[in-house]
Amino acid sequence: MQFLQQLVNGITIGAFYALVALGYTMVYGVLKLINFAHGDLFMWGAYLGLTGLTVALAALGYTTPWAILPVVIFVMTSVALMGVLVERIAYRPLRSAGRLAPVISALGVAFILESLARNVYGASWKTYPQGLTPSGGLVLAGGVRVSLMQIIVLVASFLLMAGLYLFVHRTRVGTAMRAVSLDHDVSRLMGVDVDRIIMIVFLIGPGLGGVAGLIVALYYGSFDFTLGWIFGLKAFIAAILGGIGNIPGAMLGGMLLGIIETLGAGYMSPQWKDVIAYIILILILIFRPTGLLGERVAEKL
Amino acid sequence: MSRKFAPVLLVAILLISLFAGCKKEPETIKIGLEVPLTGDYAYEGQGMEKAVRLLVEQVNEQGGLLGRQVELIVEDDAGDPTQAALVAQRLVDAGVVAVIGAYNSTATEPASEIYNEAGILHITPSSTATRLTQKGFQRFFRVCFLDDRQGLFAAKFMKEVLGAQNIAILHDNSTYAQGLAEHTKRYAEEMGLNVVFFDAINPDDTDFTPILTNIASAAPDAVYFTGYHPQGGLLLKQSGELGLDLQWVMGNACNNPELIQIAGLENAVGTYVTTEPLPKDLDYPEAKEYVAAFEAKYGEPVASVWWLMAAEAFNVIRYAIEQTESTDPAVLAEFLHNEAKDIPGLTGPILGWDEKGDRLGTIHVAYVIDENGNFILNPEQPSP
Repeated sequence: MQFLQQLVNGITIGAFYALVALGYTMVYGVLKLINFAHGDLFMWGAYLGLTGLTVALAALGYTTPWAILPVVIFVMTSVALMGVLVERIAYRPLRSAGRLAPVISALGVAFILESLARNVYGASWKTYPQGLTPSGGLVLAGGVRVSLMQIIVLVASFLLMAGLYLFVHRTRVGTAMRAVSLDHDVSRLMGVDVDRIIMIVFLIGPGLGGVAGLIVALYYGSFDFTLGWIFGLKAFIAAILGGIGNIPGAMLGGMLLGIIETLGAGYMSPQWKDVIAYIILILILIFRPTGLLGERVAEKL
Repeated sequence: MSRKFAPVLLVAILLISLFAGCKKEPETIKIGLEVPLTGDYAYEGQGMEKAVRLLVEQVNEQGGLLGRQVELIVEDDAGDPTQAALVAQRLVDAGVVAVIGAYNSTATEPASEIYNEAGILHITPSSTATRLTQKGFQRFFRVCFLDDRQGLFAAKFMKEVLGAQNIAILHDNSTYAQGLAEHTKRYAEEMGLNVVFFDAINPDDTDFTPILTNIASAAPDAVYFTGYHPQGGLLLKQSGELGLDLQWVMGNACNNPELIQIAGLENAVGTYVTTEPLPKDLDYPEAKEYVAAFEAKYGEPVASVWWLMAAEAFNVIRYAIEQTESTDPAVLAEFLHNEAKDIPGLTGPILGWDEKGDRLGTIHVAYVIDENGNFILNPEQPSP
């Protein structure tokens, strides 16, 4: 029973890692850039969600969970716009500057976004309004509990990931994205507007990241400005583990990291879980340097 | 700097120092306050600043100390040991006589080394890690009580009031929380209780369901969490959501209304907190007068006992300066060690300090969170 309960706990944490990992993977796919600012865009999703909810609840007096819907749209668009802005200001001018400069630029953006959140919202822990999320859940055989929120989180992240996968593989823009991820110059020769495609990637990645921030904050109920750093780092590792640039890989890597960490924490100690998780990570990378699903280059992204 | 400007600058400096020498005003007495104004504990630090500032203003309105105005210099250590060392040096350089701070033991520890070396009187309002006073620092004092006392109280409370036989203890690896956890474990085992679970969380985590599931499978009669309120709140929330039947008892770092906000009221009800009494429950005229003055000035209650303890630290410094008519830290420390007895304190009469600088006596009590989200004094307390 304990094992199954820990599995449920781990899958929930994994779903969050996977959602955030998508943003790393998409940007890496088209730009070969590790967008370290992604974790902080995700954190901004949580803060903007707080602002949105406060305004929605105060102005409209919503008493139903549907108050969340306009907030989701607000968070998604504003974080997506932040993402595009970051690309315009900090990455595009460095597009031909080799690979090191944009990574440092990304770290700079990450620090700016984190300090900005601290200065705007203050350093104390923020709590979401109570009673917005449904409580209750199922008790499965053997006393394993799955809360309604956990089911919602899992379904929502699966739908977002499936939608993204279909978008990339079944639409014209998605095809263009895959082309750009293979070669910028050849894509340009084929008539693909590379800058526009990159902009779309920076709309979708941070947009999803922002929503992930909102979901995490709704689920846990409280957070502070360091949220982006911890989740961002773990999600980045999940993306590498699954094979960076690969959407199903991000999902697999996130789930795997969440479950390994949880079992490590549950069966040994939370003090040891990172040691265990990263030993396994190093082992996987030694035997599969491109990550678990990373080898099919042509199908990347 | 070019050679041309050097003489000009020299003359300017001479002139300025000439005017400075002419000033009739006596020099201010500088008191330092080192608290976290940002970071996880910003709520506490900001309240502590308000609490001390109120007393400083009162003193200055009444003509200051020894006829000199008191100047409060506030530095933000963010609860972080590296930054604590940095700002401690800044306070020393500013020429303070005494320092109040820091909030958490992890920040107090490196700062105390610097104050000790500089020979400054250092009083912590809230850092309760036992080892802070075991370094032989002659000018370091506490106005709070030791973790060791709280550990004894917590073990007694779980045994006598909750009737627990098997207990779980959880800390967060910080200096303070680990110390309190280990003292509690030692006293609990001396009293014949079984400690069936003893481990730490990583306070950077957000999800504690793995360890909660683990604690539940050890089936303790009570769980004592010794860490801070952001994690305490998350533990209560996730424990409630997992439907675990755990009786939570929390240490004094969870003595904070934000605990209930983070946990959600339905998950926090029935949780006990071992702590110094809340400001509103203190039955001394000095306490009542101060609490009323604080509310009148800031329009909010003294929400945390640590705010009051910070004010108490200032109160002690003032008392020592008035009694000795000196601002020499050596004289003040000597006075507090050997002569100070029954000081009329905001947190009850201060009996004095032992040779290590630990405050004598104890005032711990247990609170319980009621259905309205208030911390109320638990009707049942263990034997003294």
